Amino acid sequence: MLLSLMACRPNPLERDDKTSGFPRAETFYLGGRQWGEPSTFNPLGPSVWPISTMNLLYETLLLYNSLDGTMQPLLAESYAVHDDSIEVTLNPAARWNDGKPVSAWDVTFTFGLGQKYKSLNIAPIWQYLLSVRAYDQDGHEAPRPTSDDAYPRRVVFALNPAKKNPLVVLDALQAQLILPRHALEPLFAERGNDLDEFKKLKFEHDTVSSGPYRLFSSSSEKVAVVRDDGYWGNQALHGGKKPAPKYIVHPLYKSNDAFSVALRQGRLDISTTFVPRIWLKADKGVRSWFDRQPYFLSSSIPMLLVNHKRVPLMDVHLRRAMAFAIDYKDIRELSVSGYSEPLRPGIILPFGLERRFFSEEDAQKYGTWFDPERAKAELRAGGYEPAFGPNGELLETRDRDGKKLPTLYIKSPTGWTDWESIVRVVVRSLRAAGIDVRERFVDTSLFWNALYEADFDLIMHTPSTQPSPSKPWSRFEALLTTRDFAPPGQRMYKNIGRFNDPHAPGYLPRIDELLALIPTLTDDDALVSAYHELNALFMQEQPDLPLVYRPDTFYEFSIKHWSNLPSSKNPYLPPLIPGDRLGTNMLWSITPVTAASN
Amino acid sequence: MLDNHPTLSHVVGRAGWYLVTFLVAISINFFLPRLGDANPVDTIMAKVTDGLDAASAKAKEEAYLREFNLVEVDDAGKVKRDARGKPVRTSLGRQFINYLGMSVRGDLGSSILQHPKRVTAIIKAALPWTLALQLPTIVFGWLIGNGLGALAAYKRGVFDKLMYPLALLASAIPAFCFGMLLVYVFGIRLEWFPAVGGYDDGLTPELSIAFLRSASYYYVLPFLSVFLIVVGGQAIGMRSMCIYELGTDYVKYAKLLGIEESKILLYMFRNAMLPQLTGLALALGTMVGGALIAEMIFSYPGLGMAVLTAIQGNDYPLISGCTLLVTVSVLCANFSVDVLVGFLDPRIRAARQRSK
Repeated sequence: MLLSLMACRPNPLERDDKTSGFPRAETFYLGGRQWGEPSTFNPLGPSVWPISTMNLLYETLLLYNSLDGTMQPLLAESYAVHDDSIEVTLNPAARWNDGKPVSAWDVTFTFGLGQKYKSLNIAPIWQYLLSVRAYDQDGHEAPRPTSDDAYPRRVVFALNPAKKNPLVVLDALQAQLILPRHALEPLFAERGNDLDEFKKLKFEHDTVSSGPYRLFSSSSEKVAVVRDDGYWGNQALHGGKKPAPKYIVHPLYKSNDAFSVALRQGRLDISTTFVPRIWLKADKGVRSWFDRQPYFLSSSIPMLLVNHKRVPLMDVHLRRAMAFAIDYKDIRELSVSGYSEPLRPGIILPFGLERRFFSEEDAQKYGTWFDPERAKAELRAGGYEPAFGPNGELLETRDRDGKKLPTLYIKSPTGWTDWESIVRVVVRSLRAAGIDVRERFVDTSLFWNALYEADFDLIMHTPSTQPSPSKPWSRFEALLTTRDFAPPGQRMYKNIGRFNDPHAPGYLPRIDELLALIPTLTDDDALVSAYHELNALFMQEQPDLPLVYRPDTFYEFSIKHWSNLPSSKNPYLPPLIPGDRLGTNMLWSITPVTAASN
Repeated sequence: MLDNHPTLSHVVGRAGWYLVTFLVAISINFFLPRLGDANPVDTIMAKVTDGLDAASAKAKEEAYLREFNLVEVDDAGKVKRDARGKPVRTSLGRQFINYLGMSVRGDLGSSILQHPKRVTAIIKAALPWTLALQLPTIVFGWLIGNGLGALAAYKRGVFDKLMYPLALLASAIPAFCFGMLLVYVFGIRLEWFPAVGGYDDGLTPELSIAFLRSASYYYVLPFLSVFLIVVGGQAIGMRSMCIYELGTDYVKYAKLLGIEESKILLYMFRNAMLPQLTGLALALGTMVGGALIAEMIFSYPGLGMAVLTAIQGNDYPLISGCTLLVTVSVLCANFSVDVLVGFLDPRIRAARQRSK
């Protein structure tokens, strides 16, 4: 029987194209965005799964380029930030796939959903907005849809003066997929405008959308979309070109390793999974953004959140001692395969677009780095006395009152191997410095509850990971804001460590002031100095312990079947896979590797 | 009345016990995953809260809790909250009654993590792959393993000396280790067989020559990874059973009578097989749980992974659905064996006759 199965092995020469439903030369395989079969393609769906394909079906107004900080046009041809509003003008060529134009009413409808249904992802933006209104070309407000011949193309997002923050609105403009009002409104009406009922629609067939692809098939093994040759943007945005791949397929493998193997074998063209020691796969045609260390373009900072409501962690000396005690180089080399630039003090990235906000002088003056001697000095300054055994092992640490410090535990989800490895390095470093810390790996489902309810001493977390127009402000906000401050036991989704309690002595109002100020600043010098001040405050207080840099999404690709993918040597787009924001645009630039040159 | 039909009374008696076992099992299936502190909504919330403010996050959490019937809702459709502001969870008792009612109607509910997908749809999509991988490995593995074991015990000599250590090795290698070895050697180094997936990425499941060919080709490594281990385990068990039988009086007697060797072998096989048969039934019963390790290593479609993710994410309806399936098939398989052994094993028949 086995022999007969061997016979099923395709001839290597015909393995790819023969009898295949998706011809290899016309199919682009991507991986790592999707870990299970999508349960629905409802754009408001309850499931968070079908992200990988959504951006190919629906489109945002703008696309953010994290390499140069610009906003690229998509449904919107232009935008302007005014003092009290942001104005967006839609591309006159933009069409839904049923031929109807994409109008300002589609935009007001989409954002209006967030005003109506508080559980939608678009809802939080409304605390920063007064209104979203449609205007026609003459500047008259056009609140009611009339006909398709005369439709408004201008949308004005009026900023809430009480919480003025154009940054988060820009974030939303490049993140929110615009939905077809004419198709969805009747569906809502039929269901009595009940969101729960609407979410039960699966949108698997004949969906009205505006993007370059349509859903082709979906199963527990793969999701596939097929090119829509009538896509409006081919003419309007891409000079008449069509995207090169006819099909885009996301196989649903079950482990990181499977994606790595598929990438190495050329079965996958691009992936956002973690591939350890990627340099070993170079001879198999696997590439990443850089072809040397750090291989990837980092945009986020995994860190240890500190619970400021627990003794002795509210003591800044102890926190700074920890920050001086951790061997960041070991973390970088051992835990993340070297995929990180050397860590610098503060939470502004010292490279890329954020570099202009980074102050070398402040870093030297206020910052922390691996320096065991300074860790000891900080411990002494706080009155802590560690006692070591004959072999250098930590016995106990006493505070200035002679009281023994409790063992502190670092929580991290079990099975997240890179984080487990980071935590082990941290524990080793801290114990060597005389701080009694141990690892505690917990089940993932328990981890999240512990995180948001602040049931931890120290916990692994990466705040606000996505590169967006609001960086690095949103990273500061995610860690430091005191808005909606709640005691441990209740949930907080930002400032999870309960730093800077506004009702407690020692409250630093300047931090909240700067967080409110920065989004409103238009003068560049003022902006730079505000960021310097905020980052210096972070370094001095060290409310949390940044550990390493990491990309928001990994980006590695195979050169076996497609060429001209963006990389640091050919950086025409940021490192994002198609279907993920601006990454989609590479589909018009890549070309199949022909059989002859293979 | 049953006194006159010993076999029938045996069957009815067993059936009663199985019914009780079934009720206990489904209760355990229901309560066990719900005993912990974890809550499926936490897992979902973790993925969707980036950028949300507290009010929206709360609204979102409530929407999920309501949708999955995990919390008490007041008349106005609002989620009830206790003094600390935590949502009041629907009592386990009431959830259990809902669950029983739905199960009786054959409705397994819809999955939480893959909402609004029906549990039955998920099982239906995965089960064929699981059966295709497990049934042949278990049945062929059992037959071949037992054949080899009996032969080794009877022949001894070189064959046994060679077969026994090999079988021991095969059965002792951890499944994940063996699977990874196969992937590395045949999938990555030699590239003889594909390392991941159930069929070519370029195809869709259908009844065509191309698909069946591809599926068979992709089948080889996952099949081997389970098959060889089953063969090894069965062979060892059968070998020792047979060695025991060889020393029994009836075999010696038969040999002295000069009965044909093949006939003796057949008698011996029948007796040695009985415990193995129970093992087979158990294996067939649990097989619907999926070959998790093979599925993970080869990214092979199947139920095992569905169960694992369901358990990790506290997807109660999917856990209950899958465990119900496993429970029913284990009980059915065992019941069949009980009945079958009653017919096959003369000792059991005799014991019943005597006890009357």
